Amino acid sequence: MERQSLGRTVEILLVEDNPGDVRLTVEALKDGKVSNNMNVVKDGFEAMDFLLRRHQYKEAPRPDLILLDLNLPKKDGREVLTEIKESPDLRRIPVVILTTSKDEADILKSYDLHANCYITKPVDFDLFMKAVQSIENFWFSIVKLPS
Amino acid sequence: MVLTFYLWDYARSGWMAQSVQKRFPEIVLGTGIIFSLLVFWDIYSLVTARSRAVGLAEKMTEDLRLEIVERKHAEAELARSNEELERFAYVASHDLQEPLRMISSYTQLIEKRYRERLDAEAGEFMGYVTDGAARMKQLINDLLSYARVGTRGREFQPTPCEAVVKEAVRNLEITLKDAHAAVTYDPLPEVLADSLQLTQLFQNLIGNAVKFHGNEPPCVHISAVKNSHEWTLTVRDNGIGIDPKYAEKIFVIFQRLHTRNEYPGTGIGLAICKKIIERHGGRIWLESGEGRGATFYFTLPVIKG
Repeated sequence: MERQSLGRTVEILLVEDNPGDVRLTVEALKDGKVSNNMNVVKDGFEAMDFLLRRHQYKEAPRPDLILLDLNLPKKDGREVLTEIKESPDLRRIPVVILTTSKDEADILKSYDLHANCYITKPVDFDLFMKAVQSIENFWFSIVKLPS
Repeated sequence: MVLTFYLWDYARSGWMAQSVQKRFPEIVLGTGIIFSLLVFWDIYSLVTARSRAVGLAEKMTEDLRLEIVERKHAEAELARSNEELERFAYVASHDLQEPLRMISSYTQLIEKRYRERLDAEAGEFMGYVTDGAARMKQLINDLLSYARVGTRGREFQPTPCEAVVKEAVRNLEITLKDAHAAVTYDPLPEVLADSLQLTQLFQNLIGNAVKFHGNEPPCVHISAVKNSHEWTLTVRDNGIGIDPKYAEKIFVIFQRLHTRNEYPGTGIGLAICKKIIERHGGRIWLESGEGRGATFYFTLPVIKG
């Protein structure tokens, strides 16, 4: 806990439509080194409502990290990423693309839109757990974020 | 014409009867007309024959042109449908990975968390689920690599086969060592190829030779023969061999001649070999008999110039 750079419970926004993946990510972060609060939304519209504190998300906390899937219903991850990085209020929040796609075009597009990193979900369960835990470790224990 | 004058001359010589001599001019004229007609007919038929021949040649050229157009059309159609098939295989295998990841992740989670609470039967059932998911994962990965032969292929470059074989042997180092296998080769040519795919081809063939070994330690020998316009490369082994009636079947994707317990694998290796060789404009086949080892042959075009 002493390595934690923010010194408080961190807020994570997970934008993911597959409940199976949501649960796996929650499981992976449950035993994480950093005390975290996971907020989950299921599509791009909900993600923007959460970030802009609209509708049912008026009391939503400002996330310290966004885990964003690319293929989402209604408004997809690329659009959400564009809107986040175009907004002066939101663009400093690190966005981690967490997707099944290994497609070079998706990778290039995401970095072009200023994604902070791109991770392909490992198919293997243990590797998936490790990947999510290292995201948490990297962004909250190693990286210096704006306070 | 010459004959007409000859007749004239002949008649005047007085050999003929008086009556005949009297009508001689008519006879000569008649004969002349007949001969002239014959000659004209000859010339006419020569001329028409020529124009008929020209017409026929033109028609044949036109037919040929149409056939070429049709064939080009068919080829384009085939290329398009191949592309579509590859795209389909790629998308299908890619999208299939997503639900599969769920199945394998959650079975692993159940096994981790509930292992003690599962009774023997539930444990057995879980084993089948895990095994099924692992096999499906392998099939999807294989399907992806099969599709990638067409979609991710690189441009052909002059490629020395010996370097490629060395690379394949290096990649198989542990397998070859464990099986006490020997891989030998004659001087091999330089060919126009995608070196990565050619490496994969040799790796699959050598790998198979080792996998399907007989009682003796596996020996694999690679050689090459040049015909007029192509190289024929052979990969010969001393393994268990293949019944010739399966010589075609073994190149079909996911076709296997053994159970998974006898020999592991999905049956993708030779299908990939065939696809690689076809992409390079060659053919692949085999000669074998049960218990007599197998010899795989494949052709690659000779580099021109």
